[in-house]
Amino acid sequence: MASKVSRDTLYEGVNGLLEASAKKKRGFLETVELQIGLKNYDPQKDKRFSGTVKLKHIPRPKMKVCILGDQQHCDEAKANNVDFMDAEALKKLNKNKKLVKKLAKSYDAFLASESLIKQIPRLLGPGLNKAGKFPALLSHQESMIGKIEEVKSTIKFQMKKVLCLSVAVGHVGMKSDELAQNVNLSINFLVSLLKKNWQNVRSLHVKSSMGPPQRLY
Amino acid sequence: MVRPNNNQLPENLPQLQNLIKRDPESYSDEFHIQYQHFLSLLEVFALNPSEENKSLDDIVMFVAQVAQCYPAVCEEFPKRLSDLLKNYATVLDPAMRNCFVKALILLRNKNLVPALDILELFFQLLRCPDKNLRTFLQTHIVTDIKNMNAKHKDMKLNSSLQAFMYSMLKDANPKAAKMSADIMIELYKKNIWNDSKTVNVIATVGCFSKVTKVLVTSLKFFLGHDEEDEEEDTDSENEVDLKGALMANRVNKKTKKRTKQLAQIKKQAVKAQKKKKNAPAFNFSGIHLVHNPQGMAEGLFKQLQATNERFEVKLMHLDVISRLIGIHDLFLFGFYPYITRFLQPHQRQVTRVLQFAAQASHELVPGDIIEPILKTIANNFITERNSSDVMAIGLNATREICMRCPLAMGEDLLQDLAMYKTYKEKSVMMAARSLITLYREQLPALLHKKDRGRQTEAQAERKVRAYGEREVHDTVLGAEALLKDSKTIDIESEDDTDSNDGEWVNVAHSDGEGGGADDDEEDEDEEEDDDDEDEVNSDDEENEEGDNSDEGVESGEESAKAKKEKKDMKILNQKEAAQELALTRIFTDEDFKRINAANLKKTVTSARKRPLEQDRAEFVKLNSIEMIYKKRKHDKESRLETVQAGRQDRERFGWKDGRVNEHCSKTNREKRKTKNFGMLRHKARSKVKKSFKDKQQALRKHLLHQKKMK
Repeated sequence: MASKVSRDTLYEGVNGLLEASAKKKRGFLETVELQIGLKNYDPQKDKRFSGTVKLKHIPRPKMKVCILGDQQHCDEAKANNVDFMDAEALKKLNKNKKLVKKLAKSYDAFLASESLIKQIPRLLGPGLNKAGKFPALLSHQESMIGKIEEVKSTIKFQMKKVLCLSVAVGHVGMKSDELAQNVNLSINFLVSLLKKNWQNVRSLHVKSSMGPPQRLY
Repeated sequence: MVRPNNNQLPENLPQLQNLIKRDPESYSDEFHIQYQHFLSLLEVFALNPSEENKSLDDIVMFVAQVAQCYPAVCEEFPKRLSDLLKNYATVLDPAMRNCFVKALILLRNKNLVPALDILELFFQLLRCPDKNLRTFLQTHIVTDIKNMNAKHKDMKLNSSLQAFMYSMLKDANPKAAKMSADIMIELYKKNIWNDSKTVNVIATVGCFSKVTKVLVTSLKFFLGHDEEDEEEDTDSENEVDLKGALMANRVNKKTKKRTKQLAQIKKQAVKAQKKKKNAPAFNFSGIHLVHNPQGMAEGLFKQLQATNERFEVKLMHLDVISRLIGIHDLFLFGFYPYITRFLQPHQRQVTRVLQFAAQASHELVPGDIIEPILKTIANNFITERNSSDVMAIGLNATREICMRCPLAMGEDLLQDLAMYKTYKEKSVMMAARSLITLYREQLPALLHKKDRGRQTEAQAERKVRAYGEREVHDTVLGAEALLKDSKTIDIESEDDTDSNDGEWVNVAHSDGEGGGADDDEEDEDEEEDDDDEDEVNSDDEENEEGDNSDEGVESGEESAKAKKEKKDMKILNQKEAAQELALTRIFTDEDFKRINAANLKKTVTSARKRPLEQDRAEFVKLNSIEMIYKKRKHDKESRLETVQAGRQDRERFGWKDGRVNEHCSKTNREKRKTKNFGMLRHKARSKVKKSFKDKQQALRKHLLHQKKMK
C-alpha cells in the first residue's frame, strides 16, 4: 500500500509554500504550520491524545526562554546571556496575578531547576499553568544551551476545543528539504498518536503565516 | 346558483376556513365580516378577561389559521393577541390563555411574528401558575429554535436569542431562570447551540445562581450524562432493504404503484448511504469548552465552602470541581485539605468522595499536597481493624490517585501497602497487587526489590519522570520495528516514487532479476557504510563519555562495560536509523500496524501473555474504586447451562457392556444381577467355598459322631 501522502505532493506543497512567501515578502519571518483536521473522533468517548516530539530542525528560532533557576543555574544563564530569575525574584511577584501574567506573556517557554520546580505552583499560583507555559525541568546534568535548543525544537500536539489542531513546524527561511523532514516527522508522530491512525485524519495542510494553505491530504 | 338564505358560512367556520385556503380572493368579504366580528368580541372580552368565551376561542383559531392569506388585514392581529396576554397574563382563564398561545404559535410557525418578541412574551407567561402551559412553551421554544436552524444557521438571530436567554438566566423569577437553563442545555445537547458561548454562560451564571434548581441543572450539565447510544441503535434498526425490494420487484407483477414504491426505496437507500458516509459530528462535553476553568473552579470552591445546601448538592460541587482540576490541570490547593475532612469510612457516599480525590489529582500537583490524602486513606481505611471491604476500597482509591500522580507516594507507605499482597481476604489482596503492578510500571524503584518483578522491554525503556519533566520523543515510538524487514517495503515505496520522480536511482524490476539484485546489494552496501560511519562517531562519543565519567576502573570491569557499550551502541544506531526513517517518509497504516504490534510485544514478558490494560479514561470510574467483590460464582441456572452444553456430543459415562451385538441375550450371570436376593440366597451360599475353620469344625464333628456310632 502506498503511503497516504506521496513524496511528490509533500514536496509540491512545501515548494509552493516557499514560492508564495518569496513572491510576497512580509515584514517578519513567516512561520510554517501544519494544520490537521480529524474525523471519526468522539472527544467525549475516546481518550484525548497529547504528545511532544522533538523536531530535527528548530521551527521557531526566535523563541524566548527564561530560566527559573537556583544559584548555579543563574550563574550559568548569566554567562550564556539568557534571561533568568531566581527564587527571590519569584517571591517578589508575590502571587500577584497581573505580574505573573505579565511574566508568562513576555516569554515563550520556561525552564526551572530541580529544586525550584516543585515550589513553582506555590510561588506563582496558577498563572503560568493557565497560559500553558508550565516550566520544563532543567537538571544539573544537562547543558543549559542544549536544553534550550531542545525546548525550541520541541512541538506539542494537543487537541483543545475543536476537532482540528495546528502546530508550527518551521519557518520560511528553512530549506525545502529541512522543512519536508520536519513535516514528515510531525505527521508520522501525530498519526501514531491517533487511535485508528490514518483513519482518524480528515485533512492535512501546510501553511505559512500569511500565505495560502497547501493541501497535503 | 348561490342561495343566500342557505348560506351557512358565517356559522360554519371550519368550512369557511377550507374555502378560504383554496381561494382567498373570492372569500375576502366573508373574512372581513369575521374579522370585524372578532374585533367586537375582543372588546367585549377585554371588559371581563377572566371569563371563558367559546366563540372568541373559535374565531381566534380561525383567524390564525387563515392569517397568511390576508396579511394586510391581519397585520394587527398578533399584536392584539400578545397585548391581551401581556396585560391579563395571570387573570385569564387557562383554556383561553392556552388558545391564545396556540394561535400565536400558529402565527409564529407561518413566520408572521418575529421570534424574539414571542420569546419575550412566553417568558413573561411563565409567571402563570400553570404547569401544562410551561412544559408546552418549553417544547415549543426548543422546536422553534431547532426549526430556525434546520436549513442554515442565522448567526445574527441566534446571537440575539442567546443574549435574551442569558439575561433570562439571571432573572429573579426562579421558574424563568430554570427554564432558560433547561432550554439552553437541551439545545446544546441537540447540537444546535453547541458553541462555547452557551457553555460559558452556564458556567459563569448558571453555576453560581442563587436558585438551587438552576444551580443543580447547570452542575449536572457539566457532569454530563449522554444518551446517544440509544439513538444509534434505533438508527440501525430501520435500515432499508434495497436488495430485497429489487428482487421482489423483479418477480412481482409490475404496477405503477410498485414502481413508485421501488423508486422511493431507492431514494431512501441513497440517503442512508450518504448519512453513513458522512462522519458523525461529535460535540465536546461542556467541561472542555470552559474559557476560564481556574476561575470557575475557584468560584465553585468558594461557593461550596459557604453553602448551606444539601449534601447531594455539595457532592455535585465536588464532582465538578474535581473534574475541572483533572481535565485542565489546575492548581487549587485548598481543595485537597477540604476533601480530606470527608475521608472517613463511615462518611456517607465515601466512595464518591474518594473518586473525587482521584479525579482531582494530576501530574502537576506537587507530591507533598497529595500525600496527606494518601496518609489519611491509609490511616482511616487500610488498617486491619476495619473490614476487608473498607480496606480494599482504600487500596483501590490509593491506586487510582497514584495512577494520576505517582510521585505523591512515599517509599515507606508503598512498601507497607504492598505487604497486603498476601492478605487472607481476596479483595484486599487483589487491590494491593494492582497497586504493585501500577508501581512496577511507573516507579519500580519505590517498590521492595522482590516486588519489582521481571521487567518487560517497555518498562526497561521507560524513563522515570521527575516532577515537571516532560516526555519528549525523538521519533515515533517503536519505529525501530520497521527497520527489521523494512528493506522490501522500502524498495516498494521507492518504486512508487520512482515511476513519478525519475530523480531517484532506478530500481527497475522489469530489467531482470540480475539488475535488481545488484541494486539491492548496492543499497545494502551504502547502508552498511552509513552504519559504519555512525558507529565510528558514536564510538568516539561513547569513549569520551566513559573517560569523563570514571577513569580508574578495573580492567575486568572495563571489558564487561565495553560489551555493554557495544550493545548500547547498537540500540543507538537503531534509534538513529528509525529517526531517519521517520524523517524521510510518511508511514502508512500498515507500518503503524507493525509498530503497534511491536510495541505491544514489548509489554509482554514470557510469564505474562497479555499486556496490562492501560485504558486511562478522563474521569475516574466509581466502579474501579468499588470493585471489592470476589469473582462471582455462577448461579444454579447458568451453571446447569454450562453442564448441559458440556454434555452434548459426548458418550455416556459409566459402565459400558462390551458386547459386539447389542441385541443378543444376556448371560445368566448378568441376569442374576437384576434378580431379587431372596431368590438367589441358596445359590449364593452353595457356591461359596467353606472356610478352613468351618471345614475343620465339620470334620471334627463328623469324626466325633462316627466314634459315638461305634
